[in-house]
Formats: sequence, C-alpha cells, structure tokens
Amino acid sequence: MTDGPLIVQSDKSLLLEVDHPQAADCRKAIAPFAELERSPEHIHTYRLTPLGLWNARAAGHDAEQVVDTLLTFSRYPVPHALLVDVAETMARYGRLRLEKHPNHGLVLASTDRPVLEEVLRAKRVQGMLGARLDDDTVAVHPSERGNLKQALLKLGWPAEDFAGYVDGEAHAIDLVQDDWELRGYQAEAAESFWHGGSGVVVLPCGAGKTLVGAAAMAHAQATTLILVTNTVSARQWKDELVKRTSLTADEIGEYSGSVKEIRPVTIATYQVVTTKRKGVYPHLELFDARDWGLIVYDEVHLLPAPIFRMTADLQARRRIGLTATLVREDGREGDVFSLIGPKRYDAPWKDIEAQGWIAPADCVEVRVTLPESARLVYATAEAEERYRLAACTPEKLGVVRRIIDRHAGQPTLVIGQYIEQLHELADRLDAPVITGETTVKERQRLFDGFRSGEIGLLVVSKVANFSIDLPSAEVAIQVSGSFGSRQEEAQRLGRLLRPGAPGPDGERKVAHFYTVVSRDTVDADFAQNRQRFLAEQGYAYRIVDAEDIHS
Amino acid sequence: MLDALVVAGQTTDEELRSLVTADPAYVDATVARLRGLALAWDSPEGLRPLSGIADVLAAGPPGYVSGLRSRSSRPLDADEVRERLDALGPGARRLLDHVVDEGGQAKAGSTRIGIDPDAAETPAEELVARRLLVPAGSTQPGLLVVPGEVGLVVRGGRTTAAPVDRPPELATEPAMPRLVTNAALGSATDAVRRVELLLDRWGHQPAGALRSTGLPARELKAAAGHLGVGEAAASLLIEVAAAAGLLATRADAGGSSVWVPTDAYDEWRVGSLAQRWTALARAWLASPRLPSLVGERGPDGKAWNALTPELAASGMPEAKAMALAELADLPDGQALASGTGLPSLVGRVTWMRPRRPRTRPDLVAWALTEAAALGVSGGGALPSYARLLVAGGDPTPALDELLPPPVDHVLIQADLTAVAPGPLESALERRLQQLADLESHGSATVYRFTRDSLRGALDIGWSGAEIHAFLASASRTEVPQPLSYLVDDTVRSFGRLRVGFAAAFIRSEDEAALVELLRHPKSESLGLQRIAPTVVVASTPVDVLLPRLRELGLAPVIEGVDGVVRVGATEELRARTPRPHGSTRGAGDARRAAQVSVAVRALREGDAVATSRPASASSPASALSALREAIELGVVVRIAFTDNHGVITERDVRPASVEGGQLSAYDADDPDVDRRYPIHRISRVSPA
Repeated sequence: MTDGPLIVQSDKSLLLEVDHPQAADCRKAIAPFAELERSPEHIHTYRLTPLGLWNARAAGHDAEQVVDTLLTFSRYPVPHALLVDVAETMARYGRLRLEKHPNHGLVLASTDRPVLEEVLRAKRVQGMLGARLDDDTVAVHPSERGNLKQALLKLGWPAEDFAGYVDGEAHAIDLVQDDWELRGYQAEAAESFWHGGSGVVVLPCGAGKTLVGAAAMAHAQATTLILVTNTVSARQWKDELVKRTSLTADEIGEYSGSVKEIRPVTIATYQVVTTKRKGVYPHLELFDARDWGLIVYDEVHLLPAPIFRMTADLQARRRIGLTATLVREDGREGDVFSLIGPKRYDAPWKDIEAQGWIAPADCVEVRVTLPESARLVYATAEAEERYRLAACTPEKLGVVRRIIDRHAGQPTLVIGQYIEQLHELADRLDAPVITGETTVKERQRLFDGFRSGEIGLLVVSKVANFSIDLPSAEVAIQVSGSFGSRQEEAQRLGRLLRPGAPGPDGERKVAHFYTVVSRDTVDADFAQNRQRFLAEQGYAYRIVDAEDIHS
Repeated sequence: MLDALVVAGQTTDEELRSLVTADPAYVDATVARLRGLALAWDSPEGLRPLSGIADVLAAGPPGYVSGLRSRSSRPLDADEVRERLDALGPGARRLLDHVVDEGGQAKAGSTRIGIDPDAAETPAEELVARRLLVPAGSTQPGLLVVPGEVGLVVRGGRTTAAPVDRPPELATEPAMPRLVTNAALGSATDAVRRVELLLDRWGHQPAGALRSTGLPARELKAAAGHLGVGEAAASLLIEVAAAAGLLATRADAGGSSVWVPTDAYDEWRVGSLAQRWTALARAWLASPRLPSLVGERGPDGKAWNALTPELAASGMPEAKAMALAELADLPDGQALASGTGLPSLVGRVTWMRPRRPRTRPDLVAWALTEAAALGVSGGGALPSYARLLVAGGDPTPALDELLPPPVDHVLIQADLTAVAPGPLESALERRLQQLADLESHGSATVYRFTRDSLRGALDIGWSGAEIHAFLASASRTEVPQPLSYLVDDTVRSFGRLRVGFAAAFIRSEDEAALVELLRHPKSESLGLQRIAPTVVVASTPVDVLLPRLRELGLAPVIEGVDGVVRVGATEELRARTPRPHGSTRGAGDARRAAQVSVAVRALREGDAVATSRPASASSPASALSALREAIELGVVVRIAFTDNHGVITERDVRPASVEGGQLSAYDADDPDVDRRYPIHRISRVSPA
C-alpha cells in the first residue's frame, strides 16, 4: 500500500484525488490511456476502455508502462484481473498491420498467424480481402481500406495503418503570425497530429480549434477540404483563414446550399455533402474534384453517418478531426477511431482555463414556480406536450428580465429551443432574434453587430449552438433546450468561454451562465441531467429560487 | 516401482534396478518396503507382485502408471526387439512411439493380422507383422497392444523416461513479492466485497432455486451482471458463499424454494475484511464443489447449474491442498511460470499421487484459477497471509496489517456524488447506503445522491435536519450547494400525498350532521376521523358501520365505487343442502373382492418370476466368480447393474474380460457393441 493519489476500481474506473501533491504527475501519466469521464472539484474519474488503451498503443505506449503507472500511483492493491485485462486488450492492437507492398499494393500483414486466420474466417471482412500472398500476408482491395479498418475494430483486432498517404496537390499555405501567436497547446496539437498521420484533436470550446486546423494545413502545404457543420460556421472559417494565413479570399471556396465553389481550399457543409437526391449523393464529386492533400472535419462528434461512409473511401488522404468531446450521443466513437484516426491530442478544459485561454464560468440554475393554474394545465397535458408547456411558461420572462438588468452593460445572449417562445421574449425584451428562418445575410449582420457591441442583447435559437464565434458574450440565459442533451449544454457554455480583452485593470472576464427552469416539472428533470454534465466538467453551479434573483 | 514390477511380471532385484529410472539404492529400499508391505513376494521363480495389483493399478490413466503393459508370456529378447525396431520404416516407428506414449494400446481397425513383414501395406501392419504390436487376446478382439518388452526398449530399457525417485521440478519465474501481495490483496478485497454485494441483494430479492436446489442459469446471469463479473467468477463466489454457510434455501411467501443469506451472514458481515476473507477462504479450501464446471455440459448433455448438489468431486479439497502446498514451498520471489507452470505442477502432483483419477489435471487447474480469483494466490505465488492459511494457521492478523485502514470521511462533490477514498467504517457505510445509491465499488466507493435515494432515507425515518447534519459531519469538504438544495427540495415534496387506512367513509353535504355524529357519545367505538369538512373515515367495516349508524337514528345509504347510491332488499342467507354420502353394502363387498384378487395375482406373479429365473449370483463376490465362469464358457448372462442415475437395469451380455475392476462385455443382441461395467455396480448375475 502506498499513499498515491489514484484509486483503481475493479469496474475499470480510476479515481484521482486532485488535491494530492502527486495529482498533476499522475494525471499526466494516465491521460494517454484513460478517458476522463468527469472532473468535479475533488475527485476526477477516468475510465479504462479498449478504445482508450488502443489510443495509447497508437501513441506508442505499451502495456507494461500502463500497468506500471497504475501500480506506481495506486493507493490500494490493484485487482489482478484488471491488469491482465489491460495487457490483453493492449496486445490486440497492432497484431495486424495495413502496409504498402512493393508488388501487391495494399496488404494486410500479421506477425501472429492465428489472429490473421481468425480474421480471414470472419464474415464481416468477406469480400474486402484479395488473394493470400503468403502465410502472413493477404492482399486488400484498395477501396476497402476504411471498411476493413472498421470491421477489424469491431472484431476486436484493430489494425495499425502504415500504408501512408498521398501528398495531394501542393499548395503553399503559411501562418501569418503578425499581431498574434499560435498558443503552445495549439502548436503541440498540430504537431502531434502531423506525426501521427491522421487523427483527432480534442480541445474545449473556445480553445481555438480553427487555428489548430490552420496550423495543420500549414504542415500539409497542400489543397485542403474542410467539412463544417453549417454555413455561418463556414464563413467564420473563411474569415479566420484569410486573417491568420497567407491564403487570400480568392483561394478559399465555399461549397454550401447557396454557393458551389471549388478552390484550392474548399469549405463544405455537412448538410450539402449529405444531401440526397433520387437516392444518390449529387455532391459526392466534391471529394474527387481535386487531389486533396488534407481533409479537416470540424466538430467530429456531430459527423453524420453518410460522411462516415464517404470517409471510408478517403483513407489514403490525411484526415484531422477537431472536437470538444469524443463522446457521441449515438455511440459511434469506434467509427471515429477507425476512420478518422486515434486521438492525437487532448487538453483538459480546466487546464486551458487555468492558462487563461478560456474564461472561467459561473453557472446558476434558477427555478421558477409555476402558478397554480399553469400547474393544472401541465398536470393534465399529454406527455409529449409537457416539456414545451413547462419550458415556455411566461413566468420565465420576469426572471430573464431581472437577470438582464442585473448584468446591464454586459453583452447577453438569450438561448432557447422553441421559436414562439423566442419571438415572444424578443418582443417583450425589445431585442433582435435569430432563428433557423433568419437569412444568412441577416444573421451575419446581427452577429457582427453583437461582436462590435452595437447590439447588447440577442435572442437566439439552436442555430447558434455550434461554431459561431461570439467572443464578446459574457452572459447567457438558457430558457429551453433539446431536452437533456449534454452536448448542447457544452456547446452553449462554449459560446461564453472565449476570453474577451482584459479589462482596464487586467481583470479577467467571468462568464455567467443561467438556466431558467420550472420547478417540479420535466424541465427541472432535464436541467438536472445537463447540470450534472457541468458539474462533471468541474463547473460548480448553484441552484437558486427565482424569488432570490434581484436586479 | 510397483509398476515396473508389474511390467516385468517376474524378475530379480538386479533387473529391477536397471528397469527403473532411479538411484539403485532407492530401488533397493523401495523393494524392501514393498516386501514389508507384502505387495511383492519372492516366488521360487523370482520376485513377483501380488496378484491383483495389476488390476488395481489400472484405475489410473490408460495402461498402468507408466503406460506400459506386462511383458508377454514369451518375451522377445531385448536385442531382438532392438533389431526389429531398427528394421522399421519411419512411419511405423512414429506410430509405435505414439502408441507407447498414449498408453500402449490401439484399435486394430482394418489392419490385417498374421501376415509377412514384406506383405505389410500400412505402418500398423508392419508393426503387427514384426510382433511389435500384438493382438490383446481373444477376450478383446480388435485391440492391439504393445508388449511390455517392446515398450521397455522404446523407452531405452526403462519403464519411464523421467526419473521416479525425484519429483518433477516446477517451472517457475521470478516475481516481485510486492506484486504478488498486491495482486492477491486486490482479488481478496474484491471477492469479499462481491459476496457481500450479492448477498445483500439476495436478502431483498431472493434468487429462485431449481427443484434440484441448483441456481437457475438466469439467476446466475443476473448475479454476474449485478456484480459486473463473468458468470464463471460469479458461480465461484456463489459456491464459496454457500460453502461458508452464508447462503441457503428457504421457502418464500409463495412456498417456492429460494436462495437467501443465512443468519450466519449477519454475523459474518460485521467482521473485519480480513475476518470475512478468512471465513470464505477456509470454506473454499475444504469445499469439494466444482464451480468451474458451471455452464459446461454434464454427461446427460444438460448444462450444470451452480449450487447443484452433484457438482462436487471428493478429490477437489486434496487437489487444492496439494497445489497450494506446492506454491507455498516456492522460495520467496519465485512464482509459477505463466505458461509452463501449470503442466509442471500437474506433473508434480501426479508424481506424488500417481493413482488419482484422470480428472486430476482439471482439478489442479481449477484449484489454481479459483485460488487466484479469491486472492489466495496472486501472480502464481502465495502471499504471506495465504501461506498461513494453507499451513492451517490464522491469516487474519497478517491480512489485517496488509489491508488499508478504514476511512471515516467521504468527499462530496457538486455532481451529487460522494467518494469514499478507501474502505469505509462500517457504521458510516451503512448510513451512507441509506442515503445514496452505489455507483462504483472497489477499494474506494462512489455513491450518488438522487431524489429517489434521499426519499428512501426519508421513508425510513431520516429528517431533513438529520441528513444535513450527517452530510456535514461525514464530508471532509464543504457540502456543495446543489446537494443541500436537493435535500431541501426532496424534503419539501415529501409527504405531499398522504395515504392511510380506513374501512369505510362517510360523506355528507351537511357538515353540521357530520359534526354531530362525531360528537355523539355512542360513535366513539366506530373509530371516526374527520379528514375534510364533508368527509369522515371510519375504522369499522361497512357491514358493522351501517347498522350502528341506523341505531344512532341516522339514515345512511351505501355508495358504490362509481359514486352511485345502492339501495335494495337485503339478501336472505341460504346454505347448500348437504349431499348424502357414505358407502352402500354392495360397494364394500366389491372392493374387498378386488383387494383379494389383486393380492393373489401379485403372489402368483412373484412365484412365476422366481421359478422362471434360476437363482444365481446375487452378491458382489459371487457375481465376480459367475462372470469369470461365463467368460470361460463364453456364454450369455443377464446382469443387473446400477447406472449413473441410480437406476437398476438388466442387460443380456457376453462377458469378455474382467480387468481393473471393470467388466468388459459384448451385447448379446449386437456382438459389435463392447461396453464396460464397473464390477461394484453389478448386483446380480444370472444365466440368460
């Protein structure tokens, strides 16, 4: 028994005591192979998963190191079965390798013949493999490189891909660091990605993922295809690239619902790529339009299923995924691992906050009490109507108004799910509103106004959840959401966390994140789910009654 | 040694020394001992084993202990054999080596017998032609055996390839004692905690039992899921808990049999971790149960269930004791090698007890797996405390010292979890369990507070203030605001609905009338209570209440569940006319006559059976001689034997041989079917 900071549980979770003197060393040691599950104030929970262990193998760690780390830092005896399991799981990675053979092209090779035999007999890989070249090698149809990797992961024998990448069409891209500088972690992230070949970079919202993308492009020096979530985000990427790199506006094309340009650097939206007409994807040609040297996936955790299928055919091109979280609500983390690549870089939210790159946040849940009459209506409503009824109660207006008054002079966002509710709030608060119906041009104008400070209060729907840079926002008031989505909570908080310019005395911005919910309804239940997510991310939050909010 | 004697048939001391792979002095000493035990004797022709020993020895793996057979009656000279061996083709030589290693016998199949070596077409025919493989004899047609003298030459003139005077060495590898202790402690803590977790659950939701008292596969699956372990690990824990007397069956409310913790469990759970582990480990050590077989198919093709009474082997405790004793004898810093260690351990144990049954390798392997799972061993070696256990001592104090001391606080966090960074003091643990749900367990425990868990606490009598005070005292850090809020919120909504007992209610729009009723001196015994201005409940049932109210001069009517008033004539009570029963005289006579005729028929049938089957061997001893006689005469006999299910079956067979306590015989109907019957199971032999 030692007095280490780590407790290894038999259910494969690792508990790290943060106040322990060795905590920082321990975190550094276990971060490569354990997934951070939650990080509330005292004890952080990590979990050992096959994907996490394989990520570590991909990064060059071996089982002995992992076991040694666990034993070194563990306070109590480590269950033997767990260590055996770690070693066995890690040994599964890399038994199979995808390689380029001088005569036969792409081959699947193994040093462990029984594994190869087992895999060859699996139904899942039927049709992906060609002729058996010798005892340890079998030819692979080049078009099946991605599908094969996916299938092998599902069989539990993930293959290491040494087959290399095409260079793509060369195109000069340089970072222009005149009045700014690439932050340390951004440079590190781009560096680790480049050495790893392909993979995913995990950085919290507001940590400047766009710049990591730009730095990766500067490494590749080649034509690049960037896939983003929506048009507004595409425009932001474009502005940022023009500002931060040697690229000019003419070299960057937008490929979206309204414009279809193909330039050396092309930014396409998920939506246009996945549009289906008469059973085919008319915009699939985009992927072959140029000899792309790099493909950037923004918000990998939202990548729609059809793009996975298209990505399976792009395994010879370098791919970088950018995201704030590897957790997918649909559980397809394995596909991200096999098709985009293993995790190449990861920096915990709190670390970056401590470095001052993202703003600290103060989270408050405000509970309003429904009036008696509204409670009766709620009690007799159909189950599917209940959330809307509870979330849209007019009682919330008064609270929202009081919060806005309290933070007078600070740029404020009111975020909601239901359009009617948003319009009503906008009318009463006399503020502009942005929803899905607002034209892109109008949205741009309003966002620009907000950034410049002309507009101090903006009511927005979920269109503002992702990838929209509003560095000036200091207060967000959430009045309704997509039920209990943790995803959404992270994104909405992310809107607030871009650090603004320091104040006159150098004081840092503190973001305020309010959630207004109706007491004793499903609204409060969903809020609890989302709050739990915040708490697990290390954001202490308070719950207050609406009556206690004074302007 | 004895084996060499049997192989040699009749021999001299000198020859024995050359036959046995051992120090000559050892051979002499052993021969002297065998003579002393009267297992070997000096006949005029030379040293012989006691007759019958060959049969007894054959209970082990096929052939005798060394896998060689007795020398044939006209043995070939060793040189002659060597010559013939040299003349063999490579295929035939390989075949011969294989047959010798696998027990010295083979099925003849289509091999032709009695041909010239030059005419041999297959390796087997070549062997037969050169008399290196001979027919086993008329009693076992179709079987070929390697005569003892040939086997001896193949093994270089010795009965065994390995020396017999030294036990085979164990394959070991270095292991750090710290890691051994670490691995074992980890498993030990887990095993104890899981047993407790499972029994706690079964205390609330008992597991159904099969009619055979076994545990249904579905319950095992649920238990494994609950514990977060595989089904094999779960069956081991369940078996150990049962062996330790912590788990037994009882009848549930519905009368069906269920598995629940015993009252010994209450005593067990208050002990320290070390005490609890010692109780489990001792029970395991002495238990003949075979949990490793759970889920495997038994002889009847059905999967074994955990806790099935038959799932035991008398050799298991011995296998455990011997395997662990071997591990205990390993020097510090040495552990059983991970790949080769097990076979070497099996070899060593086999050397010590050569005559144990063929399931031995399985038993030893299971013993090791189970020991590792329970924390008796770790990484192929025994930790210090387990050595004490194996030596019969008390491991509790040693284990206590190794285990982490209990902690007296938890860390409560804003995500509504409480983390106990180590084993909790039991009083604290029990109180925390009332307030929060268990989320993760291991060396530390993670609890989660939810509205439901807190409401559960309020249900069993906690008050809001008590919860706040307890959290503040148990938490080493400040209680997060969201948790305090959750507690208050739960308290606020607690008891918003009230539920009570009432046998009847009285409703009236006339509030004054109700007040009057309540105040009436004669209404006291009715148990009336006013719960709303217009509603009074009564603890008296309606059929009593109604006449009493009428006595008080009121005019109540009955209201149905649908709120409609029921008025109607009261039903007059009637009973059913009893039907005349009892027997008439005629029926009694008929029954008596039937009884007599049944008895007479049974007697006659018995006589008929007795006369039709001549009396014959009905005791085991006479059965054996009757069988020998039948073998000599080559006649068909009818044997009665008890099969594996305890059923006595009769069968007509043509006995072929009696060897090793077994009768081998052919079916009378089908001479190709050759079966073996253990002699002790045959209860009767009679001419067919």
